[in-house]
Amino acid sequence: MFDLMYDTIFFASKVNFFGLSNITIGAFDIALAYIVAILCSIVVALVLKIPLLPSKPYRYSFDVSAIYPTPIIAVGILSIFLVLNYTFMYNGLVLAVIIGVLSALFVKYLFDFVFPKPLDENAGEDIDE
Amino acid sequence: MNEVIGIIIAAILCWLNFVIVDTYFGLPEQPGVRGASIIGKDIEKRGGDIAGGFFQGNVLCSPDASAGTLLASIGYLLLGIPGGIIAAFLVFIGNRLCADPGYAGTVGSLTATIIIFLTSFIGLTPEMFIVGMVIAILTIMGIDQTRASIVLGKVAKKFNRHARE
Repeated sequence: MFDLMYDTIFFASKVNFFGLSNITIGAFDIALAYIVAILCSIVVALVLKIPLLPSKPYRYSFDVSAIYPTPIIAVGILSIFLVLNYTFMYNGLVLAVIIGVLSALFVKYLFDFVFPKPLDENAGEDIDE
Repeated sequence: MNEVIGIIIAAILCWLNFVIVDTYFGLPEQPGVRGASIIGKDIEKRGGDIAGGFFQGNVLCSPDASAGTLLASIGYLLLGIPGGIIAAFLVFIGNRLCADPGYAGTVGSLTATIIIFLTSFIGLTPEMFIVGMVIAILTIMGIDQTRASIVLGKVAKKFNRHARE
């Protein structure tokens, strides 16, 4: 009989022996591309005068900083390109640099427009029973 | 590795991962969203701990380290290490859409990806982590909420993140 669930998962993870899916560039190149993307996004974010660390009690992540949302966005987008097996030139290095710069620009200029802050800053605390 | 033993080990690792990350980033201290506060106060009324109640409410209402661990293991199963990182990125977007201030979800899924990668050398597979994470969530949400909230309150006190201090 058709075992749909097993077949789907088996097909999706068929080439996934080394935890790197069906990417054609080597493991070292992938690690290098990730490091370049992280460093590039942090450096460009610092050049654009985004503060390095978030504000002190680490509870309110709507304040953007160079450490928290910028490298996450960069490696997330880079991962999507890698698993789609689109690695442009020089084993993905050019792609990593472009994505790092673009994610820093996104965090600086578009972040508050795409993800606006909630109006009520301490939502959830002012509840009368 | 034997599947049952692997699932037990994976469940313990998942439980430690998401409880430690969530407690460190202050889930028991304050309700991040509105529903979490209601659940926390209701659990306290039934004889539980307010910090554990806030913890359970935050786990239920918005993506944090528990959802991050589950999504990271699913992403790792399908796409490998990049899948875990994509899961972290999607959890980040989910946090923004829920208006949830917090770092726990993204950090939790990144640490889960690292744990799954490291334990893959001793034979644990991502499937075991998916089942283990479901069991781990069941132990704090499904079996006995008030007793689980007392345990979570003790963990929060140990990390100095209790709501009443």
